[in-house]
Amino acid sequence: MTAGNDIDRRGRLALVPPRYGPDVIGGAEAVFAEMAHQLAGRGWDVEVLTTCARDHFTWANEYPAGTSRDGDVVVRRFETQTDTKGTDRDRLGNRILAGDRLSIEDQQRWINDSLRVSGLWHHVLDHGEDYRAIVCGPYMFWTTFAVGQIHPERTILMPCLHREPAALLDIYQPLFSGSRGIWFLSEPEAALADELFRLPARTAVTGAAMHLPTRYDPDGWRQRRGIDGPFVYYAGRREWAKGWTDLVEAFARLHRTRTSPLRLVTSGVGVPEVPAGTPADLVVDLGFVSEEERNDVMAAAEAYVQPSALESFSRTVLEAWAAGTPVIANAASEVVSWHVDRTDAGLLYRSSDELVEALHLTGSRPDVVGAMATDARAYVERHYEPGTVTDRLEALLDEWTTAPAAEADQ
Amino acid sequence: MTTLMITPYAPYRDGIANYAVQEVAALRRAGTDVRVLSPLPSAAHEHLVIGSPVGMLRLLRRIVGPGRGRFDRVVVQFYPELLFGSCRNRLERLAVWWLLALLCTRVPVELRVHEIDYAAATTDDATSTAARKTLLAADAVTVHTEAERRRLAETFDLSPTDVRLADHGGNFARRTSVDRTEARDSLGIPTDAFIFLSIGFLQRHKGFDRGARALARIDHPGGDVRLYVVGDIRVEHPEVVAYRDELRTLIEGIDGAELRSGYVSDEEFDRWLVAADRLVLPYREIWSSSVMERAELYDVPVIATDVGGLADQAHPGSTIVADDDELATAMAEACGGTVSGTAAPFDDDEDLHGRADLEAAMARRAGTVPEGTRPETVGLGRVPRPAVDSARPGVPQVKRLISRVTSWQLDPVVRHVDDLTAKASHDFSELARRLDDLENPTRARADAPPPDA
Repeated sequence: MTAGNDIDRRGRLALVPPRYGPDVIGGAEAVFAEMAHQLAGRGWDVEVLTTCARDHFTWANEYPAGTSRDGDVVVRRFETQTDTKGTDRDRLGNRILAGDRLSIEDQQRWINDSLRVSGLWHHVLDHGEDYRAIVCGPYMFWTTFAVGQIHPERTILMPCLHREPAALLDIYQPLFSGSRGIWFLSEPEAALADELFRLPARTAVTGAAMHLPTRYDPDGWRQRRGIDGPFVYYAGRREWAKGWTDLVEAFARLHRTRTSPLRLVTSGVGVPEVPAGTPADLVVDLGFVSEEERNDVMAAAEAYVQPSALESFSRTVLEAWAAGTPVIANAASEVVSWHVDRTDAGLLYRSSDELVEALHLTGSRPDVVGAMATDARAYVERHYEPGTVTDRLEALLDEWTTAPAAEADQ
Repeated sequence: MTTLMITPYAPYRDGIANYAVQEVAALRRAGTDVRVLSPLPSAAHEHLVIGSPVGMLRLLRRIVGPGRGRFDRVVVQFYPELLFGSCRNRLERLAVWWLLALLCTRVPVELRVHEIDYAAATTDDATSTAARKTLLAADAVTVHTEAERRRLAETFDLSPTDVRLADHGGNFARRTSVDRTEARDSLGIPTDAFIFLSIGFLQRHKGFDRGARALARIDHPGGDVRLYVVGDIRVEHPEVVAYRDELRTLIEGIDGAELRSGYVSDEEFDRWLVAADRLVLPYREIWSSSVMERAELYDVPVIATDVGGLADQAHPGSTIVADDDELATAMAEACGGTVSGTAAPFDDDEDLHGRADLEAAMARRAGTVPEGTRPETVGLGRVPRPAVDSARPGVPQVKRLISRVTSWQLDPVVRHVDDLTAKASHDFSELARRLDDLENPTRARADAPPPDA
């Protein structure tokens, strides 16, 4: 690896996430935003090429199209096209979820019967060779699938892959096998990709940069919000696919069958669904919160719960550990299990019964559970401190890609 | 000046879509404002299913209807499915031709002809006339080879100067920079072997089975000679699935042949070209070949059959063959081998006693694949549509009306049944293979397609 001062930072980088913005909820989007600012802060010329959408369900154009700046980062937004009925998407999507094998033609119909961004695609067609590298991700979105195959010799894929039916589609093979290189967020993600795809020679586990707050104010937060007593916390998308439904059902069962002082505090966009009959004061929805408040909630919680099996990195788990808070996590997530195995800073559950028991334990013996996370922050600092991660990214860019002046000399 | 290009488009990956992307990129680099309209949703600016009179009317409305004048020029990447794919009968095809002719009179249209169904276009005088009028009304008619130009001109009584030639691969660019050793190493193929390659979607008209049978007839003592057939099927229609299964069965019975089934990236596609000593294109039907153009980017010699315009497209060092015998001969010469089963006499010292020996020697020389290598593919057909013809006056019209009225309900069911049929056919064939492997473990081969999906 090249030392930081020896890095050749000439050339422009394009980062291509499907959404970008301060009020965009999503782990992968947060990874890309952080990466953009870290690299720009080191002197790279960074452009984010993205859509005008904020919501990944509607893909409605909510931000204005055109060019703007976000600090040192240039942001180019392009309008989404959602001018199809989505019939093929739904019909074929159901077959994919059912494990059916689709023809390549049907797979292509599925990926194209949703969000498309013709302006972004043609921008990269026209100007792709002006970029030293084009970093695209997550793999599943049309922006990555389509844009990532225009200039594969310059494309670095950051797939944010997890074990799900769509990952088995043939149409993604060329995206993975043809890229210049692939950046993985964790070793389990890399192992999964190796299992599913023909990979290029250049792959690396980079992780993602995590800002570690130096100050938390859990008591002040409790006062401001009027929340007393112990609670567990969940932050993010309150969707079935992220395990939210399993979590609230287990929580409701905890209180039906046991005596527990524990409440569930949650934050995110939209209105979370809660099972009928659950006492209203047991689940506290904070709505969308700022990063600072989320950190305070993390610090105040007895444990952070990660019920999702579909994680490629799990920033919220690392945020919890940075705050000294243990996690209760779904063992079905290879990535989160990997983190927990490396730190012992939490409890893995393998069934809804085990989840109920983990919650019960946290409510009745918070001292025992809390002690598990004593050294967890050090793990996050050691592996995901922004400078450490950005050093890795820079070294890989230097090694895998060619600076423009050097290209002219060849 | 704004040009509308009507074409399949990325991220769909087929020959015409890839071709169109490179053309659009070149036009835009040259400063032309290009909008793309594709038949299906894609990276194109607009999409519209055209393949019928209704589709053509909608297209006309978009181009010359309200808000007309948006486009100064239209380029149609012409192939039958694009314009006639949903036509149910001759009258509808005729209507499409006339509507296309009308479009050509309203705005300059270039017809870039990749394929044309001569039989359908000349079924009767009315259709021939409509096609000819359309071609004459177009601002430009372009093909890629001299053979195509001659045939188009002859068929529709055009002057050869009415049909222009375009360089098929003029806008093609390399997608890989590896050398042969690197390419072979990355693909897991021997660095020292003589490699024949057939690559592309697995379709009967591509004739990849012919190349495999040719290899079976070649004796190459002391040398490692291989044929790799690389590709996958695009649609799971029963006949396409059946061909893939036949090809797989055939290749498994031939020493040195291997089927690499899978959907490859553009970069990997080019890497295969770099890895090959000869590209083998034993097409049964084709107009012009993008694969041949890409092979020229890397100076890979081609052995191709003399169909369509391939003879015109062939670059220096390539060989055009007329039939399967010439194909085998060309492949044998390329790899330093000889073709068995030709006029060469049976050796005097060949141990030939009785019918079994004689027939075995005959089969060996003919390159016959041993019988019983694999169970037969279970082939099931698509749901047939009821015919609307009748000798009784008025009955065909009534039947067509009923067909149109009920199609919105029936079509999804028929599609679903066809999908189920294709899947069942595939699964039964796969089951039969696995049973055969269990019953005959010594015959199971290590080069069976990987479970990549």
